[in-house]
Formats: sequence, structure tokens, C-alpha cells
Amino acid sequence: MSGIDTRITSPDAPPVQRNGWVYLVLIFVCVLNILPYVWVVMTGFMDKAAAASPSPQWIFTPSLEAFQLLIQEKGIMKNFMNSLIVSVASTFFSVTIGMFCAYAIARYDFAGRDDVSFWVLTNRMMPPVAVLIPIFVTFQTLKLLDTLPGLIILYTAMQLPFVVWMLTGYFRDIPRRYEESAMVDGDTWFQAFRKVTLPLMMPSITATAIFVMILSWNEFAFATFLTSTEAKTMPPAIMAYSIGANIEWNVLGAAVVLITAPLILFVLVMQRHLISGLSQGVARK
Amino acid sequence: MADLTISSLNKVFGNFRAVDDVNIAVRDGEFVFLLGPSGCGKTTTLRMIAGLEMPSSGRIEIGGRNVTFLRPRHRNVGMVFQDYGLYRHMTVFGNIAYPLQVRQMDKATIATKVGEVARTMQIEAILKKKPDKLPAGQLQRVAIARMLVRDANIFLMDEPMSHLDAQLRGQMRSELKHIQKSIGTTTIFVTHDQLEAMTMADRIIVMKDGRMLQFATPREIFERPATEFVSSFVGEPQMNVLDCVLATSDRGLVADCGAFPVALDQAWCTASGLRPGQTLRLGIRPEHVSVGAATGADHPVEAELYSFEPTGAENLYVLRAGACEVTTRNSTTDTAHLGKTEGTRLAMRFDPEWVYLFDSGTGRTVAQAAASNRGSRS
Repeated sequence: MSGIDTRITSPDAPPVQRNGWVYLVLIFVCVLNILPYVWVVMTGFMDKAAAASPSPQWIFTPSLEAFQLLIQEKGIMKNFMNSLIVSVASTFFSVTIGMFCAYAIARYDFAGRDDVSFWVLTNRMMPPVAVLIPIFVTFQTLKLLDTLPGLIILYTAMQLPFVVWMLTGYFRDIPRRYEESAMVDGDTWFQAFRKVTLPLMMPSITATAIFVMILSWNEFAFATFLTSTEAKTMPPAIMAYSIGANIEWNVLGAAVVLITAPLILFVLVMQRHLISGLSQGVARK
Repeated sequence: MADLTISSLNKVFGNFRAVDDVNIAVRDGEFVFLLGPSGCGKTTTLRMIAGLEMPSSGRIEIGGRNVTFLRPRHRNVGMVFQDYGLYRHMTVFGNIAYPLQVRQMDKATIATKVGEVARTMQIEAILKKKPDKLPAGQLQRVAIARMLVRDANIFLMDEPMSHLDAQLRGQMRSELKHIQKSIGTTTIFVTHDQLEAMTMADRIIVMKDGRMLQFATPREIFERPATEFVSSFVGEPQMNVLDCVLATSDRGLVADCGAFPVALDQAWCTASGLRPGQTLRLGIRPEHVSVGAATGADHPVEAELYSFEPTGAENLYVLRAGACEVTTRNSTTDTAHLGKTEGTRLAMRFDPEWVYLFDSGTGRTVAQAAASNRGSRS
């Protein structure tokens, strides 16, 4: 207490906060993040010569040469479609199954409930590579190698723990009262769940689905090992252009545009849902 | 509309007996309150009536029909929850109409019914709004409207007013009582607020630790409490309860509270079979202790003012005599001349007509106040 100067009195107005410098930091971080991506996108629209030039070319004539090569000669749209089918289907299945699982964990008191939810969490901790070989052998036996259903099953299983973990928390945030109230009003359990709980959960489910979709879309390790021609998805397909002695930078750039564009569009469209879903139960009380 | 009979109802959660042998018979149209501190089993009892919780044993009958283990939707009860349980993704209209839509009524009937209920609850203006845009008082009205809209056999209300501020609560009390009487549906209301129960109930069930302590009219609960717990749970401020030993003096039997003796009504002592030497607990309500400026024949017990609490129409004097602390409640005009600073020497008198005696072990009432024995009950 002795260090406090008791002679100082309050100024006439509250101190003004000056945090303009925060924007400088934000701009710096944004530039640092976006510049490399912008550079890759620009490379994608260069012709072979411009892309191979040792000095960076900021001004060039745009060309679709690389895209033409990828789409027409290499048939990358097939990989694109594979990715789309696999990620949409696995998102649908993992969210649907995970939703009921999460509901049970959040609502019902059964023996071993905590063990189940802990086990679900530990599934996420395991590095996927650890099970790569067993899964490869299993897929070989079941004739699932290089098939879309195989990948869909695998991704659904991989994403389930995440879905269950996320949604359990959100279900816990929705008071039981809503369902009970509907049940007293004359609904069966399932009607109450469908008409009352689900609509309230929609933002959270959407946010979870977006995450799962992104994870499935970007999955690389399993896709590389379990697919070869028929079911190859975008990540391993693009990988092919970044190895070898002479990398064609413009082709790689175009491939990067193709794999990231859907995600960027998707997140831009859905960002409102994403944010409202993530803040569910926090902002609204 | 229906009567409700509950017999030897039990609910056990693991090792915890939430509800222990509850027996209730509620007549058709009655407004009955379950009153008790939190964790006393009143909400569990209500949830078992609604079917949201299944009893461990016992029997529940609504209108003579056994509903003990039926699902909620087969019971035809209406319910208001503590946090209203309104669906925030629907409008007020949607919320009220929900139970009717579940029953697949046609649109026109639903609109008429909702309109009628909305008029009763005075919420016609907000039918198109979403619940999260409304203040607590309005939400309360919507929740009650949703309960009223169905022709339910029994209405159940789980602490519906606990989120309202004091002023609104007063309004809702009289309004709810009026609506209950005009609709005439049997209603069970759970609360921990003794004032709500006292003002609105036809009969009150006082519960503690899962057991029913008393089931009687508010007046009976107030004037003839079955146990010490009931006596101090009902009434504001609480009844004064002091340890005492019965002793003989030159004026007959008195209750010796340590610091002072309390004169008793001798005829009443004989009638209640009191004997000298009994160790009991003496109870007296604050309004039956009068305060005087000086010790004398009128106010035999000397005391010191511990704290003075004016409430407007009445003054509360908290007095101390020895180890005993006694709260008194007297009208402001009667106590205008008395000192109001802490430490003032004052005197008090216990009205022997209104002294209660409780068993110091079990808490059961040994002797009800003499005045309450004289047929003044309703």
C-alpha cells in the first residue's frame, strides 16, 4: 500500500483507449497468411514460361494453359468428383450417426457412459498412420481397396469421434425441459427430438458438419494408400504434381486452386452459420 | 378435470430416497401446493405425476384412472416449467398452438383456441413474436397459456414464478388464483416460497426430506403446524423457537428458557398433559410478542435491542435476552414511542394464548397454541 501515491486525483474524463495498433498487427498477420496463397493462385494462371522464370513475375498475361492440361488431359475432374462424393457422404453418415450417439451420451444415464465418451475421445488422439497397415489389409480382404464406399466408410468412422464429442456438449447445453415439455404436450420421444431438439441444434449441427466436411475433403494419408485409379481423391492426385525432377509450377498452382476453391466458397457462404453454431449456448443464455 | 390420488409413492435414486411414502388425495378443482425447501422431493413428486419420472413404487390415479407408469403423453396433464420450457425457434403463437398441433386439430380450431387463451392471459399483442425477445413476465404468461390451451385433466406448475421480480409475482399471484378458480381445473403447484403457497392455495402439502409433514389448509398450517419445521417454514419473519424446560413456580407451570421464564396458560397446560421437568422447544410467532419501554407487569422480560428493522406498516424489533434472540413484529404506530437504536433496554411479553411447544427430539408439536384450539380455524 505504501507505494500508492495518494495525492493523485481522478482526471475529468475517462481515459481514452488507443488501440489502433491492433489493426497493424492484424494487417500484418493477414498479409503473412494470404500472400503465399495469392502467389500460388497467380502461378496457376501463368503459362509455363512465366511460372518457370527464376525471378518472380508480378505482371503477366493470364493463361488457362495449366487448367486445360489438368482437366482435359489428366482428367482431374474425376478426382474432384470422388472427393466431393466421399466428403459429402461421409459427412452425412458421421453427423447422422454421431448425432444419436451424442444425444444418448448427453441425455441418458447408463452404465459405462463416461467410459464410452472417454473412449470416443481417445480415438481422436491416436495418430491415423498407426492403423494404416491393418486397415490396408482389412480393405484388401473386404475388396474395398480403391472404391468410393470403402473411403466413405473409413472417413465416417474417422470423423465420428469428433462429431460425437462436439455434439455431446451442444446437446448438454439444450435444457431437457424442451423435450419434457413437448412430451407432456403429447409427443412421443422421437417427435419431441425431431420437432423441438433438432431445430434448436441445427446451427451446432451445421457447424460440426462444415468441420467434418473440411476434414474429409483434405484427408491425405489414407486416400494415398487406399486408392490408386478409380477412387483417387484430390489430395493424393495433386500430390503427384509436386514430386519429381521438374515440377511444373503453374500446373501445381492450378491444382491448388481447384482443391481450395470449393472450400473457400463454401466457408464464405456458410460463415454466418459457422460462427453462430460455434457460439451456440455461449451467447444465448 | 379430475381428482388426483397418490398412494404410498416412493422414488429412490441410488441410495437417496427422494420421495418417501407420499399419500395425497386431491379433490376435483382444488388448488394444491407442494411446499418445501429445495431438495425436499416436491419437484420429483410433480414430475412423477407428469410422467417425466417413473416412481420406484406406489400408485398415481388421475380421475380414477391408474397412470402410475404411463408415458407423459397418455396422461393428459398440462405443465409449466420453472424456466418455462418455451421453444425458442417458434413464435408465441406456435408455442401455444403446439400441444393442439400434436393432437392434429384443424387450423381454424387451433386459431380460435389460441386466440381465446391469449385473451385470457392478455398476450394477444405478442403472438407473432419469438420468445427470446420477450421479458420474463410475458414468457410466464405464454407458458401458462400453453398449459391452459389444452383441456387437460390436471395442471402442474413447477416453481413458475421464481424468475419474476417481486412486483410481477404479486400480480401473477392474484391473477393465477382467479384463473384457476374460474377454469376450475385441479392444479398442483410446486414452490419453495411460503407466501405463494399461503396466498393462493386451497390446501398445502409441506414436504421435507422426501416426506410429507402436513397436508392442510393454509390457515391450519399456519395456526396448527404439525412440526417445528412447518411452523418455522411458514410465516415471515420466522417463528421464534427457544429451548425450554417446564418448571413450577408460584404462578403454576412456566417454560424456563434460561434467561427468563415464560408464563403459560394453566388450563391449556393441563389439557395438553404437560408435566414439570419436560425439556421442550417453545415457539411463538413474532406478532405475538409485544414490546414495551420498561420492564413491569405488562412486559415482564427484560431485553436489549439487537437490531431494528422498519418495514413500513410494521416494525421488527430483534431483541436479545441472555442467549435467546427473539424477533417481534408490531405495528409502527404501537411502537412509535420506543427507542430504535441498537443496545436500548426494552421489555417484552409473550402472549400465552399463542405459545406452541414442540418435542425437542422429533420436532413434533406437543401442544398447539391455546388460541388455535378454540375453533377459530376455518
